[in-house]
Amino acid sequence: MQYRAGEEEQQAQSKKALKKQQKEAEKAAKKAEKQAKLAAEQQEADEDDFAKDRYGICPMVQSQQKLDRALVRVQDLTPEKAEQQIWVRARIHTSRAKGKQCFLVLRHQQFTVQALLAVGDRASKQMVKFAANLTKESIIDVEAVVKKVEQKIESCSQQDVELHVERIFVISQSEARLPLQLEDAVRPEGEGDEEGRATVNQDTRLDNRVIDLRTTTSQAIFRLQSGVCQLFRDTLINKGFVEIQTPKIISAASEGGANVFTVSYFKTSAYLAQSPQLYKQMCICADFDKVFCVGPVFRAEDSNTHRHLTEFVGLDIEMAFNYHYHEVIDSITDTMVQIFKGLRDRFQTEIQMVNKQYPSEPFKFLEPTLRLEYKEAVAMLKAAGVEMGDEEDLSTPNEKLLGRLVKDKYDTDFYVLDKYPLAVRPFYTMPDPNNPKYSNSYDMFMRGEEILSGAQRVHDAQLLTERAMHHGIDLEKIKAYIDSFRYGAPPHAGGGIGLERVTMLYLGLHNVRQTSMFPRDPKRLTP
Amino acid sequence: MPMYKVKPVSPADIKIDLPTCMYKLPNIHAQGMNCGEHALQNGEVDPALKALEERQDEVLRRLYELKATVDGLAKTVTTPDADLDASTLSRGPAESVFRATADLDSLLGKDLGALRDIVINANPAHPPLSLLVLHALLCQRYQVLSSVHVHSSVSAVPPPLLSCLGPRHIDSYARQRFQLGFTLIWKDVSKLQMKFNTQSMYPIEGEANVARFLFRLLSAEPQDPVLATQMDCWIDTAVFQLAEGGSKERAVTLRSLNSALGRSPWLLGQEFSLADIVCACCVLRAGQTTSAPANVQRWLQSCQNLGHFDCVYPLLQ
Repeated sequence: MQYRAGEEEQQAQSKKALKKQQKEAEKAAKKAEKQAKLAAEQQEADEDDFAKDRYGICPMVQSQQKLDRALVRVQDLTPEKAEQQIWVRARIHTSRAKGKQCFLVLRHQQFTVQALLAVGDRASKQMVKFAANLTKESIIDVEAVVKKVEQKIESCSQQDVELHVERIFVISQSEARLPLQLEDAVRPEGEGDEEGRATVNQDTRLDNRVIDLRTTTSQAIFRLQSGVCQLFRDTLINKGFVEIQTPKIISAASEGGANVFTVSYFKTSAYLAQSPQLYKQMCICADFDKVFCVGPVFRAEDSNTHRHLTEFVGLDIEMAFNYHYHEVIDSITDTMVQIFKGLRDRFQTEIQMVNKQYPSEPFKFLEPTLRLEYKEAVAMLKAAGVEMGDEEDLSTPNEKLLGRLVKDKYDTDFYVLDKYPLAVRPFYTMPDPNNPKYSNSYDMFMRGEEILSGAQRVHDAQLLTERAMHHGIDLEKIKAYIDSFRYGAPPHAGGGIGLERVTMLYLGLHNVRQTSMFPRDPKRLTP
Repeated sequence: MPMYKVKPVSPADIKIDLPTCMYKLPNIHAQGMNCGEHALQNGEVDPALKALEERQDEVLRRLYELKATVDGLAKTVTTPDADLDASTLSRGPAESVFRATADLDSLLGKDLGALRDIVINANPAHPPLSLLVLHALLCQRYQVLSSVHVHSSVSAVPPPLLSCLGPRHIDSYARQRFQLGFTLIWKDVSKLQMKFNTQSMYPIEGEANVARFLFRLLSAEPQDPVLATQMDCWIDTAVFQLAEGGSKERAVTLRSLNSALGRSPWLLGQEFSLADIVCACCVLRAGQTTSAPANVQRWLQSCQNLGHFDCVYPLLQ
């Protein structure tokens, strides 16, 4: 019996072994075939590649040599350069191979141009294949001849020309898998839903900010923001203001103890400045008369709203006046109007580019700026059916409604609301001389949202002490502040705006994170 | 014996079926007509005719009364503050202008403690001269806070237009001290527009209509409906024919102005009114005042002498 079983086993084994052998033989045969094919292709490739030295991946640029080569920018590629052979450095926006041709779209900032590589006497099949396989976003150097086109290329910014590529080299290659596609990032929300194409949500954008900032919309937004800052500085310098820098590590919270970040400071702790308020005022007491400062502001508010950040750029103004704080309001509103005019006249391209993805109404304003009083605003709101007390602060929905009512009547997106009730303002606000319930304070609104809160400051040490006590503030903590008014202080007033908020509201965007390059909020600390 | 005899074509006594239509004429072929004819020729009226006439008068009078009542009703329904019932009107003398200060509350609505601001959007290419004159008149009656703004839709405005409402009031920082606000915004609009209370009022368009509104605030509207109609008529003539019409229509209007001014110092008689303001502004804007007829020139001079037109002349250059 054993013998029989063993024999069967042996037979079974040999059957298995036979099958195994057969399989292996098949595999080997296939492999040999493949290898032979590859070898044949390789040989073919090597044989026919006459353009071998006109394309490739450059070694990493470690400043090996100083090439005296002029690179033309994509935005300068116009019909005037027709028939010229030039070098261009740009990113690959898209690449598409079609038989013997490869269409590339090269992009630099907001400008795109079409480039064509066709198999011919200048380019080999391998070169075209290489170009078609280049990953998106790679930075390449291209030598090409600029050619005029009869039919406008609608999809590119440079519509009248196209490049016929002679040489193509990769300077910096991008990984194949991108965390987000640029076309998706620029697609307007509605279009995405309609056509079933993807749009990128905000968190993904912010996590991959470096790529998101490459889109035309982002480029336009931040160039405009740079313009806001520039116009702010220029206008104030022309008005005789001095730019100052204030410390951000301070010993006492300026606005109130709740919303302040604490940092460890050697053996004790210190705070990050919530606003340059105290130092601006000290500069006025130090006879600088008109000052402004541009710097970060830190607010530890646990608000996750569309318009709050924990760190933002504050543009602050403080000015001594002669007899009435309206002199300061006029100065501030004139500065804002000059900023709006500058943006309207010099940044139309950027505004249009943003509007393509985020359509909105153009920003309207009056010159001189409209100034309404708080009582008028309450009357307008009451007439519109809102129930509120005369000395109540305006809630955010009420502010928005008021903005719409003002827009209806005066057709302006920017206005000042003067004479707020004293009870809702900080302790250093000067009370109204004729009515103790009101104060010499004002807010400015853009598109119905508050952008600036300002007031005439109390410049008398005694009144300041009284007001601080009334608000229950520890006098010891603000001793240095009160002391600065004891040695002669001019009457002064001022206010501050947030750069990100102003840019967001000017462009009609809906989230302040779109106008902050690397935003900080309670949930985000990187990038 | 007659030479030719014609056989009668139709029998003499055909039975004719007389129609029972509304009016019946006496049979002109019948006998016994002579006395009726004579009566008419003598001026005596046929009693039947008289009755008919009386009936007609009665109907017409009833129709007129009905129309008047309906008109009165229509007015009370559409304009809450109209208190004029056309059926009880009588031709009284025109009320003297500009003596009474109107009750702003009744004209503009209850004061909610805020400045009542009238906003006017005008195109700087067509400055509304008559509104500037009315502004000057309003400033004499009330404490008016006037301000001029340039809207962002317009890039630049010539300086005379920025100061057309006069120098800024010293107290302009305290808005609540004023009874009325007059805000003029130079904007790229096709038609002049006035906004007051956007919640309850539709914007008023057209310089003439805004002028009528502002004139009512002066409570100098003529109470006599005939004069009021004449005033409206002159205003419409000024707007449609002087301002918007061709040179022929302008010449015709100037002639009719001339003849009207030959009879009285102002267009409506003895009193200066809105008709004079609007017509004078249109004539001044059309230009060529030196070639206007004599009465018109005299009248323009009188307007200037009143002093209200001082704000207009700097803008005519």
